[in-house]
Amino acid sequence: MLRYSISLFFMTCFFWGWSQENTIDLNPKDTVVYKQPYGIRFGIDLSRLATTFLNDQYTGFEIVGDYRLSQKFYAAAELGNEKKTKQEDVLNFTTSGSYIKLGFDFNTYENWYGMNNSIHIGSRLAFSSFSQTLNSYSIFERSRYWNPDGFFPIDSDPIEFNGLSAVWIEFVLGTKVALFSNIYMGASLRLGLLLSNTESEIFPNLWIPGFNKVTDNSNFGVGFNYTLTYLLPLYKKARKPMEKEVKTLE
Amino acid sequence: MQKTKAIILIASMVLSYTGCEKDDICVDGDTPLLRIDFYNVNDTSALKNVTSLQVMGLLNGNEPQAVIPNISLSAVGLPLRIGENNTTFILSQNLTPNDTTSVNRDTLTFNYGVKEVFISRSCGFVANYDNLNSTLTADADNWIKKIEIIDTLVANSLSAHVKIFH
Repeated sequence: MLRYSISLFFMTCFFWGWSQENTIDLNPKDTVVYKQPYGIRFGIDLSRLATTFLNDQYTGFEIVGDYRLSQKFYAAAELGNEKKTKQEDVLNFTTSGSYIKLGFDFNTYENWYGMNNSIHIGSRLAFSSFSQTLNSYSIFERSRYWNPDGFFPIDSDPIEFNGLSAVWIEFVLGTKVALFSNIYMGASLRLGLLLSNTESEIFPNLWIPGFNKVTDNSNFGVGFNYTLTYLLPLYKKARKPMEKEVKTLE
Repeated sequence: MQKTKAIILIASMVLSYTGCEKDDICVDGDTPLLRIDFYNVNDTSALKNVTSLQVMGLLNGNEPQAVIPNISLSAVGLPLRIGENNTTFILSQNLTPNDTTSVNRDTLTFNYGVKEVFISRSCGFVANYDNLNSTLTADADNWIKKIEIIDTLVANSLSAHVKIFH
């Protein structure tokens, strides 16, 4: 009986409730502004890493990085070290050295809401310091009178040429796509134009770290990379509207 | 769409640029041949043909090698040995071509220094020769009367380095 009386006591309690006072707005204005991440993106070149494992004539790596300056502009840099041995018809040489490339990327891709991909063009100023070693060589002669079986090989220890350097500018065409949050996969093609080339008078530079092959009678070089990068977001910033919104009359 | 087209265009330009490499075949240089012109000993400004001229390399003083093709009967281009500082040739003339017993062979040795010169990626290094001088082995009947070194540096095969008077 006592139990019932307690229940009855609860029945006498009042509870206040509120019903909706305003009407439901079925078309609310989206006030959530997507803020784009700004920060430092850094990573490595996968192609140089893969070539290191697959080709025993090459070891090298490249660290890439960029810093977002504005909606479309990024400061970008590459830093690398390469060692490559090449066998030509009449000579074998090894080039070994480091390079740094500094410049800008300009994103030409209009991202959809929430996306942060890029198709960019860019430019770099690049500097490389390296040494070149002539491992072995033969003397070229068309008349094979004294050496009918081939060219005359010179019996010599490898000759090293130190203190070589090169400066070039690079045109970059590339893309970066977000794989997961803050992880990006990228690729770029590069066309380099050699500005200065400090080389030995005896044996000129045939390959430059970062620039790749130096072609006869040409100052152009080509290269590429495949990058895996991580974006370290430092802050977020909303994109500034292109045009001021027209205020609606109330 | 325009951007995609531009990207494909640039990419194909870059690929086509790297695809063909013009410097795969050596066309820029060669180890020069020693050019000898034959002159008349009585008229030292006139070229004179050597009847049935034949030149062979000679190894170790007694091993004649294959016949070196002449440029003409009054000029030859001779390959010098790169690994050595001297090369010996047998230069023969035969005034009566039908009679092989009448061949007159003279032995001529050239001494020189070898310089290696880089030409290009595909050619690599070629040899140039300097400090050229010659020694004629005297025999009973030398048909070569006089040798004059015009150019002690052999860097190309365009003009004569040596004049032989006979």
